[in-house]
Amino acid sequence: MDRRSFLELLAAAPLASSLRAETVSPAYKVVSRYAPAALSGMPGPYPGRVVSVKSPRCLDAAGRVVDVEVVREMMDRGMRALTGEATVLGAWRRFFEPADVVGIKVNAGGVPWVVSSPAVVAETCRQLMAVGVPASRIVVFERFQNQLDGIKYAPHLPEGVTVFAAEKGNRRTDNSAYDPATYVEVDFFGEDDTRSNLMRLVTQRLTKIVNIPNMKDHGATGATGCLKNIAYGCFSNVARSHSRGQTHTLTAVGTFAAVEPLRSRTVLQIMDGLRAVWHGGPFAKTERYVFHPRQMLFGTDPVAIDRLLLDIIDEKRKAEGAISIWDRSPKYLKFNDAGSRDADPDVNILIREPGHVEYAGRLGLGVADLAKIRVEETSV
Amino acid sequence: MSLFVLLAALPAVYWAQPVETAPAVKQAGIERLCVPPETAAAWRSAGFTVVPLAERERSERVKVRAPGIAARAEVASASLRPWVFANGWRFLRAGAGRYWCDVPARQAALAAAEAFAYGADEVLAIDPAGLEDLGRMLAFLSSLPEADLPAVADVAVQDDGSPVVGEVLNLMARRNLLFKVGRDPAPDVTLNVRIGSKEFPRKEAQNPEAFALSVRRALTDERRSLRLYGSEAVIGRLARDASRARLHLLNYGGRPIEGLRIRLLGGWAPGEALVFGEGRVAVEDYTIGAGATEFSLATLGPYAAVDLRTAN
Repeated sequence: MDRRSFLELLAAAPLASSLRAETVSPAYKVVSRYAPAALSGMPGPYPGRVVSVKSPRCLDAAGRVVDVEVVREMMDRGMRALTGEATVLGAWRRFFEPADVVGIKVNAGGVPWVVSSPAVVAETCRQLMAVGVPASRIVVFERFQNQLDGIKYAPHLPEGVTVFAAEKGNRRTDNSAYDPATYVEVDFFGEDDTRSNLMRLVTQRLTKIVNIPNMKDHGATGATGCLKNIAYGCFSNVARSHSRGQTHTLTAVGTFAAVEPLRSRTVLQIMDGLRAVWHGGPFAKTERYVFHPRQMLFGTDPVAIDRLLLDIIDEKRKAEGAISIWDRSPKYLKFNDAGSRDADPDVNILIREPGHVEYAGRLGLGVADLAKIRVEETSV
Repeated sequence: MSLFVLLAALPAVYWAQPVETAPAVKQAGIERLCVPPETAAAWRSAGFTVVPLAERERSERVKVRAPGIAARAEVASASLRPWVFANGWRFLRAGAGRYWCDVPARQAALAAAEAFAYGADEVLAIDPAGLEDLGRMLAFLSSLPEADLPAVADVAVQDDGSPVVGEVLNLMARRNLLFKVGRDPAPDVTLNVRIGSKEFPRKEAQNPEAFALSVRRALTDERRSLRLYGSEAVIGRLARDASRARLHLLNYGGRPIEGLRIRLLGGWAPGEALVFGEGRVAVEDYTIGAGATEFSLATLGPYAAVDLRTAN
């Protein structure tokens, strides 16, 4: 565990022709002293397995008010179905024990409309405490405090649970919460700061992580779910992977997610799809592009869940008459023009890289082949 | 007192306000001023050390922009990549130059630190509202231990005096590529650069940012004496001899930076940082190995000096 290991990853794994990657893959150097766990958290004990739970009653008719009791029932069903356990407690005990220090990685980037629902986060805390994890060893965390401020989780959570942000905002001035000894070094576009560091919270305190992303469109990755929430949501200085219409998220998302100890400690994926955003993501500053899948996905394999997510977002876009997330045509590209992107669903500000999910599968993080993904669907 | 002597330690302050402002100037801890000649006697009577600065000498000085930053939207992300206004490259290019800077209040402390770090003969004409900040910075700079060490350069740039070379130097400085300027190649650097050579064609210098990147690629990051991580708004200046080093860190971003990471080539013992606004603090997360030393600063305001000695 103390051995400092240097893993050279030349991110040049052969890509499926359908991905049509047009950028040269950068060279990554991963620096971490942490060894993988015997059973890595990702893809964990259930590779290629996803439980989908839907409920038309989880939100009110307008899609604004969450029914806490229905969400609780959705989560109970999902966890029991995933694990095959007869009881909810038994299901959670598959992943957690009283001695754990558990981080709940939320997604606050879509504030105010599409974020990890306080109801889902609170129920996760409740179940962890039922297992025996004290509230003082549960940390709800995200990168940016200004985004968390827009959600106000604390009143929804059991007393004693900590809400933590690594930075005040996306200003590149707060590095102290990141581990200088655990980082990915990569030169994407000639930027001078070539390091992205993993949060100290992850390397030095947490023993397990529950990942609670949302169902969101994303201008760089096509869609953002489990992989990007845990990867770009735990490392510093990641926005540099996009520049002037290009993005290296194809290789970066999986590479970051695979860094130890993040990979080993992220043991459970709960995708909050009560609300979702089909364009303009990862942001959701207006309701214009918000839709309501009223669905949650459960698993340990982030790749499998995200592969389903790509289709959920793309099908919604098609239903709305918007271009596909797979469309790489330059004619839709207006880089640096977020205003046009926000006004027109047929505008991309980057060439999207939904192939990042398949790439993560190639790194061993999970199953990307739809034919091999087993989905169990249920409803409440 | 000659202006040269006055400037030997600290940047000079030009103060055109009436002598009735003397209590405020004293309150700021400033005792030496450049003033309009017609007010010199009055300021001397008020107890100040003054250098009269006539309009002619003022106008002969090269005007430089106040150091700072302009945030600009960069591509599609919510991030901002800063555009830094820095003068160090000018000071390095023309070491004997004489400069003048009109300084808004918020940039007074940074401007003083920048002039100090490069040993520039610069007169700072500050907005009176910046007097207190400036005084604090001057007091801090004067408290630093003396460190008359030769500047480190990884690159020597042959300067033909053209504007295009100036822009290349500007962008190299912003990337923390440590350079010196001369008319001929230098034998004691890792890389010599002559714009117009086969390796560095003049037409490529039309895009100075890309050109600076090509210099960086030719040098390689591994051979750079200084790397900074955690901000693109900080510029470092490194000076050292066989046994000790001083690293000047100038933060142009206008906001404190927490956890700036520094990588220096070579083996250096854990040093101490003299951080403006914080005082003397130990460096954090120190590591040494693989031919380099790394450490972090808990916080960095507009300026810090880190003093180091070689590791045994």
